[in-house]
Amino acid sequence: MESSRDDFIIAVRSAFLKKGYQQKFSLFSLILFSIFILTLGNFNFKIIEFNRTVIKEIIYYSSFIVSVPENIVEKYFNKTSNHFRYYDDYERVKNDLQKLKNKDLSKKIITFENIELKKLIDDYFVEDSQAYAKVLIDKKSPFLRSIIINKGSKNGVKTGMIVYDDIYLIGRIVEVNFLSSRVLLISDINSKVPVTIQPLNIEAIMSGIEKKQGQLEYIQGDKLINKDKEELIVVTSGSGGVFKSGIPIGKISLTKNLNNNKVIVEFYRDFSQLKYVKISSHTKENINIDQSNKKNFRENSDQMLKLNEQVSNINVLKKQKVINEEIRVKLELENKRLKNNLITTEKELIEKDKQIKKDILKTKNIEFLELNLLHGHKCRKSFFKSSLYKVGTDEYRACVLNKGSINRN
Amino acid sequence: MVSVNITIKSFLARNTPVILLFTSILNEIDFNNTELKYFSFNFSYILIFYYNVKRENGIGYTFIFIAGLFNDVVNGLPMGLSSLCYLLLCVAASYLRNITLRPSLIKDWIFFLITIFILNFITFTYLILFFNYEINYFDQLINILFTFLLYFIFSYIFGVYDNIISGKFY
Repeated sequence: MESSRDDFIIAVRSAFLKKGYQQKFSLFSLILFSIFILTLGNFNFKIIEFNRTVIKEIIYYSSFIVSVPENIVEKYFNKTSNHFRYYDDYERVKNDLQKLKNKDLSKKIITFENIELKKLIDDYFVEDSQAYAKVLIDKKSPFLRSIIINKGSKNGVKTGMIVYDDIYLIGRIVEVNFLSSRVLLISDINSKVPVTIQPLNIEAIMSGIEKKQGQLEYIQGDKLINKDKEELIVVTSGSGGVFKSGIPIGKISLTKNLNNNKVIVEFYRDFSQLKYVKISSHTKENINIDQSNKKNFRENSDQMLKLNEQVSNINVLKKQKVINEEIRVKLELENKRLKNNLITTEKELIEKDKQIKKDILKTKNIEFLELNLLHGHKCRKSFFKSSLYKVGTDEYRACVLNKGSINRN
Repeated sequence: MVSVNITIKSFLARNTPVILLFTSILNEIDFNNTELKYFSFNFSYILIFYYNVKRENGIGYTFIFIAGLFNDVVNGLPMGLSSLCYLLLCVAASYLRNITLRPSLIKDWIFFLITIFILNFITFTYLILFFNYEINYFDQLINILFTFLLYFIFSYIFGVYDNIISGKFY
């Protein structure tokens, strides 16, 4: 037991400390040195940063030189395979060109409208610097999908600048050396890009999963059901201010995503075929005003103020007109109502007059009948009183009303 | 003419592993990230482990250390991490060589699997704890699995190559 423990210790000690033939350092010392370098990597001392940059530059260019034969072979292989596809490509390109020509005009109009609207909301970015760079190394690392380009701080490249292939987003600068820089591709799992899905206008975060694919996070596949079109377009949303809005990234094929919880974005560009890229940074558009422009600007401002005042006056008058109109309508209604009332009252009055006349007549008749009972015999013509009046005549009535006294005119 | 041949063979026998190691690291073709979705392996691990188990001198620790630094820079990893892993792999290989009386490929193979598991564990831990890297564990597991499986094939190929080139030197 004791001897096997000793054997283990001897074997380990030998593994760590024994130097091989023509070897200057033991494994132990080199391991310590590695840990030392790793620890230093966590500090941002100027001298360490400088040494690191120099080492990186040397290694990047060494890697570029080592990759030259492979790149030449790849280039000629691609050329040969492209020759076999020329006719098919020609036909496809011809069709595409025709379609694009049709779309071009409407696109231009929409672009201008878009610029105007973005200016209105103060979200219009212009390129303040741009540079074209060659891809030095396209190393496929298992932990980091990135490329090395041949432009560095000497060419004005800064960390955070956006990298395009044509107009399509491919990544951003994450490391800048003097003559080279590292671009973190959007296909990397650590790359988080705020995106908008058009035309549904849904926002999400995209991270890379494969060379040609990304995955949308914080979104469900069933929210992307679009009845009109099969494909959805993914563009940068501009949230967070790292990327400007509206840079095309890829498309979502709904037929592939409907039955899946993961929403997969297929990039427009194949990142393994990158040769040259465009680096650019953006700032919000600043309008520079000189003296003559300032005068015009002031005059315009005054005119605008006057116009604004006039507009406000007109608005007040309009409001007054509306109020007057309301009052007029109310008065008309009131007038109509009163007229109706008047007509009704007049009718009632006539009715009442008639009623009064009837009543008077009735009263006179009653009075005549009463008097007729009392004095009728004084006026009624009979055999003995032939000078009196026949019943029903006017003279008889007058006699009754005069209580039997005969008025002989 | 014969002496020139011997010199060339001697040079190739001694330096082929180093040339292979640096070429595989600096070249754009990386088996760690192939075009295939479910296939990748770490060629450097196989190469370093094989030659450190088989040879007393191995590839040369200083070369391995520098190769690790190159790998870190090219892959965008924290500088020193790959060097540490490669050197720990050398320690494991050296320990295996010291304790082995009768060499057996199967034993080497199993020992290699345990070692790459530990090395990947160290790499992941360091990257996650100190650098907040997000790692696709499934891809890494596939990488480990194929690195382990292909060790058998590559050890055979390296053995044949050694026998052809420098059979009389080793």
